[in-house]
Amino acid sequence: MLYWIYLIRNLTRNIRRTLLTSAAVALPIVIFVLSTSVISALNSYLDNAAKQMRLIVTHKTSFINPLPSGYRYKIEALDPERKELTAVCGMHWLGGKVENDPRLLSTLAVDKDNLEACYPDYHFTQEEMDAWHRDRQAAILGPETAKQFGWKLGDRITITPSLPPYTPMEFHVISTAEHASDPVTSWIRLDYYFDALKEHGFHGDEWIGFFVIKCNSIAGLDHYRRAIDELFANYPDPTKTRDEKSFVNEFIAQQFNLPRNLAILASLTVFVAIMAAMNTMSMNIRDRINEVATMKSLGFSSRSVFVQILIESMMLCVSGGFVGALIPYGLFHWTPLGSMTIPVIQALDIPLLVCMKAVLIAVGIGILSALWPAWLGAKLNVVTALRYLE
Amino acid sequence: MFIGELQRYVTRLQNPNNVSFLIQKVCPMSLANISVHQVVKNYHKDRIEIPVLNGLDLTIPAGQFSVLMGPSGSGKSTLLHLIGGLDRPTSGTIQVGDFNLDRMSDSELTRWRSRHVGFIFQMYHLIPVLTAAENVELPLLLFSMSSHERKQRVATALQVVGLTDRMDHRPNQLSGGQEQRVAIARAIVTDPDVILADEPTGDLDAKTSEEILNLLNILNKEFGKTILLVTHDPRAAAHGQRILHLDKGILSQEKEAVCVT
Ligand SMILES: Nc1ncnc2c1ncn2[C@@H]1O[C@H](COP(=O)(O)OP(=O)(O)OP(=O)(O)O)[C@@H](O)[C@H]1O
Ligand SMILES: [Mg+2]
Repeated sequence: MLYWIYLIRNLTRNIRRTLLTSAAVALPIVIFVLSTSVISALNSYLDNAAKQMRLIVTHKTSFINPLPSGYRYKIEALDPERKELTAVCGMHWLGGKVENDPRLLSTLAVDKDNLEACYPDYHFTQEEMDAWHRDRQAAILGPETAKQFGWKLGDRITITPSLPPYTPMEFHVISTAEHASDPVTSWIRLDYYFDALKEHGFHGDEWIGFFVIKCNSIAGLDHYRRAIDELFANYPDPTKTRDEKSFVNEFIAQQFNLPRNLAILASLTVFVAIMAAMNTMSMNIRDRINEVATMKSLGFSSRSVFVQILIESMMLCVSGGFVGALIPYGLFHWTPLGSMTIPVIQALDIPLLVCMKAVLIAVGIGILSALWPAWLGAKLNVVTALRYLE
Repeated sequence: MFIGELQRYVTRLQNPNNVSFLIQKVCPMSLANISVHQVVKNYHKDRIEIPVLNGLDLTIPAGQFSVLMGPSGSGKSTLLHLIGGLDRPTSGTIQVGDFNLDRMSDSELTRWRSRHVGFIFQMYHLIPVLTAAENVELPLLLFSMSSHERKQRVATALQVVGLTDRMDHRPNQLSGGQEQRVAIARAIVTDPDVILADEPTGDLDAKTSEEILNLLNILNKEFGKTILLVTHDPRAAAHGQRILHLDKGILSQEKEAVCVT
C-alpha cells in the first residue's frame, strides 16, 4: 500500500508537469482513437463491399467520363445464360440540391429492373419493390439523407439535379433503405430521368455514367473483371472494371489517401508522446536523485528502483491515455456528435475495443519513455549520489 | 523480539520513576563485530589514482559506540560506506558479524544492508512526499511482514525517538532535529545490528545535537546497537566509548572502550 502511496504522491509533486505530460499523452491517444475508428469503419465498409461480389465498370480515363448505354447489351452477351453475370445495372450520377439548401445530395439514377438483383444485401421488401416499379417518380433514400433532410416515407420531394436538365424534379419517397451499406446515396429511376431530359430537349439517353454488375462467385468476379475490359479495349471508349472494394478504396485513396495518412499521423503523435513523457520522467528522476540514492541505501535493489520508475511512468501515461480514450468515446456516444455524418463511413462509431487498445498503447508509451530514466536510476551509484548532495 | 524489547523500553520511558536505565550499562545483545582488515580504497579521477584508505585495520567489538574523527577529506565517509556495504574496497576484507562483505554479490550486499545496517546522514534524506510514519515504514517494505506488524513497528520506532505526535507530518513540516529523529527511527525500525551515522548533528544546534546524541546513546546502551559515528564536533565525540582519528590514511585511538564484556 505504502509503495503505491509513494508512487502516486510522486506524480503529485509537480502537478503542472504531470498534467502537461498527461495531456501530451492524451492528445495522440485521441488522434489514435479517432483515426483507428475511421480506418476500422472504412475497412468494415470495404469488407462488406467485397462480400457482395459486385463489379463497377467505368470509363478507362476517369469515372467522370460517361459510357455508351449500349455497352450493357454487350456485357450481358458475355454470359447469355446469366450463370455468372447475374445482373447489369446502369447508373448515372445526378448529385442534386433542394431549394434554398446548400447541401449537395448524392443521387444516382438507376436502371429500375436490375437494381434489386444487384443489391440483394439491401433486403428490399416486396411492397417497396412494387412501389418502385409502379411509380416512375419513386425515390429510395439513403437512411442518413432521409434523417438529415427530415424526409419520411410517402413524402413528395423536389430535387434539382446538378446535371441537365437542371430543372426541379419531383420524387415520391417509397423507401429509406434500412439495410443500406451506403446510407447517404439515394436512388431514382433512370427512365424517369431520361424522359425529363427529352422533355427539355436534351439528348443523352445514349450515355450513362457507369455499370454495376452482380456476379455469382469470386471466380466469376475475377474472370469478368478482365473479360469486360478486354472486350472494350479497342472501342473509342475503353472501360476500367474493378470490384466494388477496389473502387471505393481507389476513390478514398485518390481523394484523401485516408487510411495511410491517418496511420502515419497516429504513429507520429505517439512518437511525440513518448518524447514528452521521456522528458518528464528524466526531469522527475533528476529532481529526486537523492531519493533514489536513499532508497538504495535503505536496501532497495537496482531492479526495484527500475521497476518503480517504470510503474510511475506507466501511471502517468495511462492517466493521459485514459482521458484521451474517454474524450472521443464520450463525445461520440453521449453527445449529438455521434449522429454527425462523415463521407463514406457515415456516423462514426468509436468501438470500445479501440479505446482499450489506446490505453494499452499508453502503457507502451509509459514503458518506452521510462526505460532510459529507469536505467539511469537503476545504475545510480549511491555513494557518488549522496556525496554530491551533502 | 525487537518489538518486545522496544515495548519494554517504551513502557519504562513512560514511567517517570524509572530513568535510571539511562546511566545503567547494559551488555551488548547484538553480535556484530566489525573487522576491517588491510583495506585499501583508491578513487580514480581522469586516470589519476587518488588513494584514500591505505591498508587500514580496525576492529569494533559488537555493542560498542565508536566515534570517528578526522579532517575533511580524510576518508571518514568512505570508511563508513565501505562498512555499510554501499561501496567496495579496492582491496582488503571487511567482516560484519558473520558476513564477509567482499564475498557477497551486489544483490546479496543490498539485501544484507536492508537487514543489518541502519544509516543516518547529515542531510536526513527523508522522502518529502511521505509523512514521518511513512518514511519510517519505507524500509519495512523489503520485509515480508503484515501491514499490522509494520504499523506497530513504526509506532514503536517513533515512540523511541519521541515523535509520536508528529507521525502524520511531512518532512517540510518538521524541524531539522525532528527530521533527524525520523531518520533515526527509519534506521532502527528494521532492528539492524549496526548503526552508521555520518555527521548526524552537522546541521543542528547544540541543544538539538545533544538530544540526538542521547538518542544514539540509548540505542547503544539499551538495545546493544553497534554504532559508528562520524563527527567533527568534540562534544559529540565525548558520547562515544572510543574515539578514533583518521588522518592521511592512518588511524589512531584516543579514548579506550569503556564497556566491553
Ligand atoms: N567518487 C570519488 N571520486 C574521486 N574522489 C573521491 C570520490 N569520493 C571521495 N573521493 C575523495 O576521497 C577523499 C575522502 O573523501 P570522504 O568523503 O571519505 O572524506 P571525509 O573524511 O568524509 O570528509 P568530510 O569530513 O568533508 O565529510 C576525498 O579526498 C575525496 O575527494
Ligand atoms: Mg564525510
